[in-house]
Amino acid sequence: MSKLKIELEVNQRKVVRETEPQKRLLDFLREDLNLTGAKEGCGAGECGTCSVFVDGKLVKSCLMPVAKASGCKVETIEGLAEPGQLTPVQKAFHKTGASQCGYCIPGMVMAATSALRANPDAGIEEIKERLGGNICRCTGYTKIFEAVEMARAVIAGDMAPAELEEDAVGASYIGANVRRLDAPSKVSGRLKYAADMRMPDMLQMQVLRSPHAHAKILSIDTSEAEAMEGVACVITSRDVPGQDGFGVFVHDQPIMARGKVRHVGEAVAAVAAEDLLTARRALSKIRVEYQELPGIFDPQEAMEPGAPVVHDYAPGNVVKHIPVRKGDTAAGFAAADLVLEDDFSTQQVEHAYLEPEAGIAYVDPDDVVVVISPSQNITHHRHMLSHIIDKPINKVRFIMSPVGGGFGGKEDMIYQGMLALAAMKTHRPVQLNFTREESLIASAKRHPSLVHYKMGLTKDGRITAIEFNMLSDGGAYGMSSEGVMRKAAILSCGPYEVENLKVDTTAVYTNNTPSGAFRTFGGMQAQFATESMMDMAAEALGMDPFEIRRVNMMKIGSRTHTQQELTTASLDRVLDAAEKASRWETGAPVSRGSQRGDLGGPDTRAPCTLGARINQPDVAAGKEKVA
Amino acid sequence: MLTCDTYHMPTGLTEALTLWSEAPAGSRLVSGATDILPWAREGRAGDVHLPAMIDVTRVPEMSGYRVEGGRVRLGANTVYQDFLSKDDLRRFLPCMPYCAIWFADDQIREVATLAGNLVNASPVADGTPPVAALNGEVELTRLADGKLARRLVPVGDFILGPGKTDLAEDEIVTAVILDDATGYGGSFQKVGQRRSLVISVACCAALVKTDASGTKFEDLRLALGGVGPRPIRLTEVEEALRGAEISHGAIAKAADLAASKVASRSRKEYRRDVVVGFVRAAIEEALGNQPGAPVEIRGAGETADV
Repeated sequence: MSKLKIELEVNQRKVVRETEPQKRLLDFLREDLNLTGAKEGCGAGECGTCSVFVDGKLVKSCLMPVAKASGCKVETIEGLAEPGQLTPVQKAFHKTGASQCGYCIPGMVMAATSALRANPDAGIEEIKERLGGNICRCTGYTKIFEAVEMARAVIAGDMAPAELEEDAVGASYIGANVRRLDAPSKVSGRLKYAADMRMPDMLQMQVLRSPHAHAKILSIDTSEAEAMEGVACVITSRDVPGQDGFGVFVHDQPIMARGKVRHVGEAVAAVAAEDLLTARRALSKIRVEYQELPGIFDPQEAMEPGAPVVHDYAPGNVVKHIPVRKGDTAAGFAAADLVLEDDFSTQQVEHAYLEPEAGIAYVDPDDVVVVISPSQNITHHRHMLSHIIDKPINKVRFIMSPVGGGFGGKEDMIYQGMLALAAMKTHRPVQLNFTREESLIASAKRHPSLVHYKMGLTKDGRITAIEFNMLSDGGAYGMSSEGVMRKAAILSCGPYEVENLKVDTTAVYTNNTPSGAFRTFGGMQAQFATESMMDMAAEALGMDPFEIRRVNMMKIGSRTHTQQELTTASLDRVLDAAEKASRWETGAPVSRGSQRGDLGGPDTRAPCTLGARINQPDVAAGKEKVA
Repeated sequence: MLTCDTYHMPTGLTEALTLWSEAPAGSRLVSGATDILPWAREGRAGDVHLPAMIDVTRVPEMSGYRVEGGRVRLGANTVYQDFLSKDDLRRFLPCMPYCAIWFADDQIREVATLAGNLVNASPVADGTPPVAALNGEVELTRLADGKLARRLVPVGDFILGPGKTDLAEDEIVTAVILDDATGYGGSFQKVGQRRSLVISVACCAALVKTDASGTKFEDLRLALGGVGPRPIRLTEVEEALRGAEISHGAIAKAADLAASKVASRSRKEYRRDVVVGFVRAAIEEALGNQPGAPVEIRGAGETADV
């Protein structure tokens, strides 16, 4: 491989370097120049975390071979403002709270800067369109669009620059618009996430993952990989010195597959090498002999007698069953004028935080094993790892790096153990940065669920009884399933006072990608079923959907499904506010569709249109385009 | 992960063709590179090592554009963003801005080329229907006895099937040659999973020109993508409407005729339904975009809801 010599200008400084010919501009900026403001969120041009200017044009640096930038002027987030200063766009992002996890923000600031450079008068539709190549998972984009419009006004002189400063706080911080303390580090691209960190003498790790959903591991031969020049170590479950097993509730998951693999993408072995490419090449030299086992992919089939068993400790494949009983459902249904019965299913969902999993581990001079990662649960990870690596707790340290979005998906210790083992085996810092594909295949997902629902009601809309039976696909490992089932059970029948209920939530093992924590932690799946039932009941009884909810809502003094007596309750006010804000057209929810009087109007968001910048008189006149 | 031994950036066409003809087996020609990098990843081609990558974006003979005899010759290095940002290209090729706005996003459009899109020969490429509607030809160049030898192939013949083209081993696409459609109204319709950065499920390009009175179709071009292995030019529909009164009834009839022409590997019924709405919306939008006085669509009927 011959080196590639490139000369270019980066942030107004001349740069001459020899580098590898296959490097992308993103790799060159991050690795050769240590400009880590541009991130790698996907490596496939989808997310925009890597946006930089090349000769004044915004491009995705993960899609640009570095040779293409030779002779060009490159501008990165680090070059937008003088050190210690922020541009109006950056200040506006700070002001509106547009940066949350911050991982998309350097790219988002670059896209906003590009939009306003291209058209300082860009309207909101054009701004949205020009930011279309950048994804954010925290904000829902509202704060970001607000920031761009604010910056546009300041740049145009229509708004005083002082408007970008923090609002004055009066006697109380409550109700005051305060800015995030860490936002300047995010809007300037200076904040170092785990993948941005470098340590001297650091190795790069790559992971060999299972191609099978369920298979016995007959043998793993790492000798050829270990013999490769540049490979520092290869680790497998054999390298675990203590008691292997982690999980948020049940410790059923080994650091790397032990004896068998239970889902596609499960870690089987890992290589730490001098560089990423060597580590990747070494993976192909590891020989694993599998014996495929029948897999189980349907949660209902997982519960059938004779189904393949995923974990020996759970012969019925049940991770957790949570029953809740209150009153007498038979009597409740007998008292009902109307009994509705239906099934609801929800699908698997990926968190898709912009920051793929990343981490560094090293052993410090006092033999403390240190793991740096965007873990959402470092204290629990620390305790689990001390057992796994058989070290006292004071010899295990976890440092939480900035979390580039988690949403529950970074609660599971799916890679920190491998990093620790490699650092212990080599006594060198080891870094592992997941690819987006790896993040998708190896991290936990939202539980797919099936709910069978039976609801009894009187003619005036009062719920007399509910039977709620939820079956969730827990996937190959327990992770947060137990807690998710518990929360789903507690919230199952919604914020409604139900005298008679029978609730069962069950998560089962399958050979699918593991399910785990995800925003609402089981609440969403249950509420989808309950609120759908409420609307269908309103329709069947000819009632207004707000009215049927008011008839059943929990009030002060109500007892929850788990018999807690409420001393505060706010659903009445929530319903009033929602009804008013939506300008609700009162009446039973019979199909009126597009004839409803409460569609559109202020505070509703019009569908996104494309082509705002195509200079058409029709567009200027506000005529709605078919596209 | 994509790796290579050498990355060439030739600065002349002869140099590029020489490098290409002498490149070790397995080498790849690169234009915008926005497809090759995502291709060499897990789940697709995986880790790929190429002996050489030959990047043609600095070949001056393949850059720029000019109009000759009612045809627009776009150098192969013309990127999608040019169709939005260059006023004369917008005028010459009225359906291309609408295609471009649906193509990927602003940042990818700055580097992704129309020629590269055609060479990839995806059945759902955004670029193929408008090129077919503009009677596009692909210019292929190779070295024969040290001299440049060119041939022109209509886009419908150039694309042989998914990922397959008529490009010979030693050839490079050097230009895309299209009708100068100044005066036409243009449109592009697309459905995909989301608005930005998405591959089409199906797409449709239209060009419409009315007679001087604005009541009759003088000329019409319609092409569909994503409904078969190659772009489909709806010549029967075009003929049916040429000279016809501009009315909702005529457009609806044309849309039904278009749907009967649809074939595809998957989701045939869905695509058929989409095509009916597409063709109506495309003709209506193109009529609305025709430069000059607004065109009234006569007769009963609502505009398409897509």
